[in-house]
Amino acid sequence: MATGLATKRLMKELAEIKTKGTPPGIVLLNAVALDQWVFLISVLGDETIYAGETFALRLKFPNRYPIDSPEVTFLADAEYIPPLHPHVYSNGHICASILGAEWSPVLNAVAVCITMQSMLASNKKKERPEGNDRYVRSAPSNPKLTRWQYDDDTV
Amino acid sequence: MKVTVLSFNAVAAWKWNASTEPHQLYAYASRGPDGQIEEYDDDDEEVCGICQSAFESTCPECKVPGDDCPLIWGECSHIFHMHCLLKWLETESSKQQCPMDRRSWGECSSQQME
Repeated sequence: MATGLATKRLMKELAEIKTKGTPPGIVLLNAVALDQWVFLISVLGDETIYAGETFALRLKFPNRYPIDSPEVTFLADAEYIPPLHPHVYSNGHICASILGAEWSPVLNAVAVCITMQSMLASNKKKERPEGNDRYVRSAPSNPKLTRWQYDDDTV
Repeated sequence: MKVTVLSFNAVAAWKWNASTEPHQLYAYASRGPDGQIEEYDDDDEEVCGICQSAFESTCPECKVPGDDCPLIWGECSHIFHMHCLLKWLETESSKQQCPMDRRSWGECSSQQME
């Protein structure tokens, strides 16, 4: 389990969520362990193609968090289905630059949730990424081990 | 009446100059056309953005605040615990960029800060 920096940082983030709450449409479902949290994310408003849908976003924090980025996936299980989005694979893996090359240690769990929420909010077409089936067949369980290419800034 | 002081204990407190320098720079930069300096809320500037601990306390790996766990000032005006920032800059993914603005990190020398 995480030491020093990661533990203190995660405790502070949890305390802040408890006192200040989370932004609208984002709920901390559980933190089964200090290093593994699940948030429920929904997109609010009438404009969205995800009206009425709720997704579960799991964050696993590495020992060197926040220097190293968290491992972030949408849950794909009996209860939750990852959102149909051109950057979200059916196994829940997400292609988003801030989860990889553009990660910064001043980001935190809630900031990741907000980014995912706005990625959904700006989307107009419900579809899986190109090559979804091929990717899902061979994907590592940890999406951070995938070599992502960020080639689309529009959604 | 005459008082003779036999002894005294001096007490001092210290604080990193973490908010005043960027504060002055900010105030200078944001000076309106009439030369008025706008009020600036620096509530969020008292903690290191990486560990979220106060500048006056240590980074999470240290026990004693002060010179052994100093702050580091960037040319971009962002401030961190030195130990926190170095951990970040040691990683390949940092690309030697400031975590706040992703500009190339350069340490601000003391002359530049005066």
